[in-house]
Amino acid sequence: MDPVALRIFVYDEIVARGRPPALSDIAARFEITVPNARRALAELKIGKTILVDPQSGEIWMAGPFSAVETPYHVVSGSRTWWANCAWDMLGVVMIVNERTTIHTQCTDCAAPMTLTGDPSVRPNEKAVVHFLVPARRWYEDIGFT
Amino acid sequence: MSIFRSEEHVLNWTRANGHAVGAIVDLPQVWQLAKLWYADPRATTWRPRTRDESQAVIASAGLTGAFWELPK
Repeated sequence: MDPVALRIFVYDEIVARGRPPALSDIAARFEITVPNARRALAELKIGKTILVDPQSGEIWMAGPFSAVETPYHVVSGSRTWWANCAWDMLGVVMIVNERTTIHTQCTDCAAPMTLTGDPSVRPNEKAVVHFLVPARRWYEDIGFT
Repeated sequence: MSIFRSEEHVLNWTRANGHAVGAIVDLPQVWQLAKLWYADPRATTWRPRTRDESQAVIASAGLTGAFWELPK
């Protein structure tokens, strides 16, 4: 399978539907078996960009998008996406390339925060992002990071 | 990378959870980092960056120093 076509399909699905394709979707799209779809995903070898659940083989995250609900919810009209972290919530804005609304909450006090996510305009909301671990350790445990 | 209402909330949270404070970056600077970091993976020309390319992007967003050094 062409890995570029697979990568583009994965992200096209996420941007259109808000969630990554299941292995069965990939199998149907490329007319291959589910085990072969699982193998193709595992062999994508694009760094830490697409990570799969080791048990199920399904996509767990396709950076900056998360396949599961997180505190970082990006909304544009009827489409919504989950981001892996505060950096990634702005990465989602850049990739979908639309003015969005971001619903999140303060990690300390859980106060709801609503931000404007615009790929062309710096946000002016008063908020900060805490990078807990230094860059040299970002990829040791991507889930924790 | 977690969002907080203010630096004071970062300090509250790190104290309560027994973490050392890492780096606190304001939202506009993180927006700049995201803008430089995230190319559209739907482009046929997309490819993962090298370590040095990633380091250059981080520096372009104004984030320099030991904390921002990627592993060699």
